[in-house]
Amino acid sequence: MRHSHTFKKLFLITAMSSGLLLAGCDGDDGKDGKDGRDGADGQSANGDASAQLAVTTSGFVITDDAILVAPDAADGDDITEALSVALFDLPEDALVVLPKGRFVVTESIVVNSASGLTLTGHGIHETVLDFSTSYGDDAFRFQGGNGITVRDLAVYEAPKNGIKATNVNGIHMTYTATVWEGELEANNGAYGLYPLKSQNVLLENNYAFGSADAGIYVGQSENIVVRNNTAKQNVAGIEIENSTMADVYNNIAVGNSGGILVFDLPGLDKAYGGNVRIFNNHAYSNNAQNVGAGVVGLVPPGTGALVLATSDVEMYNNQLTDNATTAVAITSYLLVEPDLASYPANFGATMGDGWSPLLKNVYLHNNTFARNGADPQGELLQPIIDGYGSNLNSKGSPQTFPAILYDGIGELLSNVGELTAFNALVSAEAQADGVNYDPYSADDLICANSNINGNPAPDYDEVNTGLVYPNDPADLTQVDGNGNPLPHLLIDQMVNNTYLNCVQPRLAPAVVNFRNNIYGCTGDDLAEAACAL
Amino acid sequence: MRNNKKTMMAALMASVLMTACGGGGSGSSSDDDDSANSSALNAGAGAPTGAEGNCNAATTGVNWDALMSETCPNLSDYKLFTDAGDPTAGPTRGGVPYDLSTSLFSDYTSKYRFVFVPEGKTVGFNESEALDFPVGTVITKTFALPANTAMPEGDERVIETRLLIHRADGWIALPYYWSSETEATLAIAGKRLTDLTTINHQGQTLTFDYAVPKAADCTSCHSIVPNLTGPDDQREQIFLPIGPKARYLNKDFTYPDGTVYNQLQYWAEGALLAGLPADFTRVEKAPVFNDQTHLASLSERELNDKARAYLDINCAHCHRADLTLPEGYAGAAGSSGVQLEYNRNYADSPGKFGVCKDPVAGGMAGYPYDVIPGNADESYLQFRIETTDSRHKMPELGRSIAHREGALLIRSWINQLPRASCSPAP
Repeated sequence: MRHSHTFKKLFLITAMSSGLLLAGCDGDDGKDGKDGRDGADGQSANGDASAQLAVTTSGFVITDDAILVAPDAADGDDITEALSVALFDLPEDALVVLPKGRFVVTESIVVNSASGLTLTGHGIHETVLDFSTSYGDDAFRFQGGNGITVRDLAVYEAPKNGIKATNVNGIHMTYTATVWEGELEANNGAYGLYPLKSQNVLLENNYAFGSADAGIYVGQSENIVVRNNTAKQNVAGIEIENSTMADVYNNIAVGNSGGILVFDLPGLDKAYGGNVRIFNNHAYSNNAQNVGAGVVGLVPPGTGALVLATSDVEMYNNQLTDNATTAVAITSYLLVEPDLASYPANFGATMGDGWSPLLKNVYLHNNTFARNGADPQGELLQPIIDGYGSNLNSKGSPQTFPAILYDGIGELLSNVGELTAFNALVSAEAQADGVNYDPYSADDLICANSNINGNPAPDYDEVNTGLVYPNDPADLTQVDGNGNPLPHLLIDQMVNNTYLNCVQPRLAPAVVNFRNNIYGCTGDDLAEAACAL
Repeated sequence: MRNNKKTMMAALMASVLMTACGGGGSGSSSDDDDSANSSALNAGAGAPTGAEGNCNAATTGVNWDALMSETCPNLSDYKLFTDAGDPTAGPTRGGVPYDLSTSLFSDYTSKYRFVFVPEGKTVGFNESEALDFPVGTVITKTFALPANTAMPEGDERVIETRLLIHRADGWIALPYYWSSETEATLAIAGKRLTDLTTINHQGQTLTFDYAVPKAADCTSCHSIVPNLTGPDDQREQIFLPIGPKARYLNKDFTYPDGTVYNQLQYWAEGALLAGLPADFTRVEKAPVFNDQTHLASLSERELNDKARAYLDINCAHCHRADLTLPEGYAGAAGSSGVQLEYNRNYADSPGKFGVCKDPVAGGMAGYPYDVIPGNADESYLQFRIETTDSRHKMPELGRSIAHREGALLIRSWINQLPRASCSPAP
């Protein structure tokens, strides 16, 4: 049978009649109440019962102008086709609603260049999409577009990534879950929530469980707020990678291999990030075996937080407890790739773009540390672990593993002028942005002060700061036959510290502009306690 | 054998004669170009009128107006083929068949490609990117699975026809699935065909699922994406054709009348292509690679060239950045740092080809770097192009089985690359 209608027209009619059947309404102004605010007609979305189809468990109002996907589907139904069709060629500011229940999806759901889209279920427990039999890779992928919200739904067992958003300006995920059930295994999915190359990223109230890479990951993006999320039993709980202007606060990272990671990795299109603030989070018991691959696979199990090769990071008011290896590791990329001679060949291009194996201006203050370092692990750290656990450290006797561990090698090599040849690799643009291999100035220092020892009294002295290499060349006492520095494994108490005893200026807060509202510490959280500190 | 130009012009003349009565029903041709050339390949093809289209319009030629505005339920509504049930031959007046020297692997399907350019319009030459097809252009690509991949001329099952349509507001893609012998129907949500079989070049029977992509999937490969430069950057991705670049069209093609001629020159002499450099030797040319290519007899230079073309056409629609792209845009996977364009200089930055580069997203135990020169066995890139596990496979879309011949080409390439710091000790 042939139709003279376009597909789009046919589809809208289908959507409308579904809406009519369910709601008996004809509203189609496309504005009211999608964000919980009043629509253009001035009527309250919340107050007008006739315009309200349903309310999600998080309190979001679903209005009668919504496009309903498979509204009559029963538990266990495959809603792939309805979902694919509904999300193709969307009108602007569409509200697309998934049904209540647990459903099967057998393909990746791809959404292109959506503008103002809200995709919602009925709640994080109420709408569950099971991708365990999917032939696709990602569960959802949003490519391009602006002002996109995903909310009130859960994605289970995606073959690859959970909810990916790439090159979106304005991506908001809230009350979503990405879950791989059971044990943490290498063949679980890679990333849970996965905004990439995006601007104005707001991730809040989400739950990420079981990813073999990062549960909540933001990569190569700018202007980012990650708050009030829980990341549990992933390889990396929360990871900010090659990203700029990010605030990560009021989150819980528990049971991961590494709780909160701030990475700059070489070779990416956005060569480096910075201005990352990690505050008021609780990272505890991140002691899962690391089943990951690639660089994240090197994260020592038992790491509360790890800053790798990223400059301009401020970490404060966090509680870092019960992490079996260390509470906070701060390391250059030289720990991952120690062969300096290989850098020009392998990393020359990315170093030209401004990526640096070094990190500068990392400032830890007012964090609370308790019961970390009980059973340090990780192949990457093994010689360091052995040294602190034996006589082969600066104290000459076995020590509780440092709660704050700084590799110091990049700073040392810079300070002795060993890396100045790398300056020739750095583009003029990156140099103007402050990337260099000169000796560290005061602005570049790694600082840790005013941190709190939360250990019970008998262990009071056993919260330590460790430096693998002395950052000051004057303290260099051990070199090998070729004059290369050897690990010194310096260690001292964290409180009343001798190491890393300096302060740095505070970093600027991140600002997320989503659909012309401002989110974060300068916006809707202006009065939030975490932001006041 | 290369036919001489005289033969070709005779063939063209013949087709002009035939078109006298075949004029498109869509009315006037566009007037912003040179007046229609009566000997042009697309003479008499008709053109969009600018009026709203109708999927049921009774046009004698291509239903241009429907193509420009309507998403029709059936492929036949667009009147692109003289036999509506056969998208592999017999394009409606104006359609020109073409193929590519090295092409995307799609589960051993044969592909039938046609380009339809509105009468009076010409395609602009582009040195390295897809040719500049004017608004109104329609490209059809039909996928058919041969019963035996070694005998592509034999029995085959026509599975799907994909359209790329250049509308006034940009390109769009529409997938049509051959739901019966006579009709292909719109498949917005794609289509999964289970347990298809073919016999490969080695005589083995392959059984696999074939996935007709969803309409939304097309954009995953066909778009370039903006590097958003700040919080106020609202630029959108741009949809583009991938295959019809000069370097892949720069080869001989056997036309239905038996004419054998270089495609670019055929288009240029048929007034379909403008701006082809007078010095034809300057036009970029990708080598031919297909399942019949005998790797062992290739020189090192030929092997490298074919591998680079294979990586380009199979990977670089996503894995690309900078070079000849518009300023501020990259492929969808440009951010991964692995960039595999044919015209990227390997020696300048082996790392962009994945050499000694840690896998960033995911990764796999036992594959420490994307590419380890001299050790394809432990190169993650090699693993990804061979596996069918959707957690790792590359390309992400359009491949359900491994391309044995292509994978061997890349394996040989990795193993002969200049050694790097991550290479095994000699």
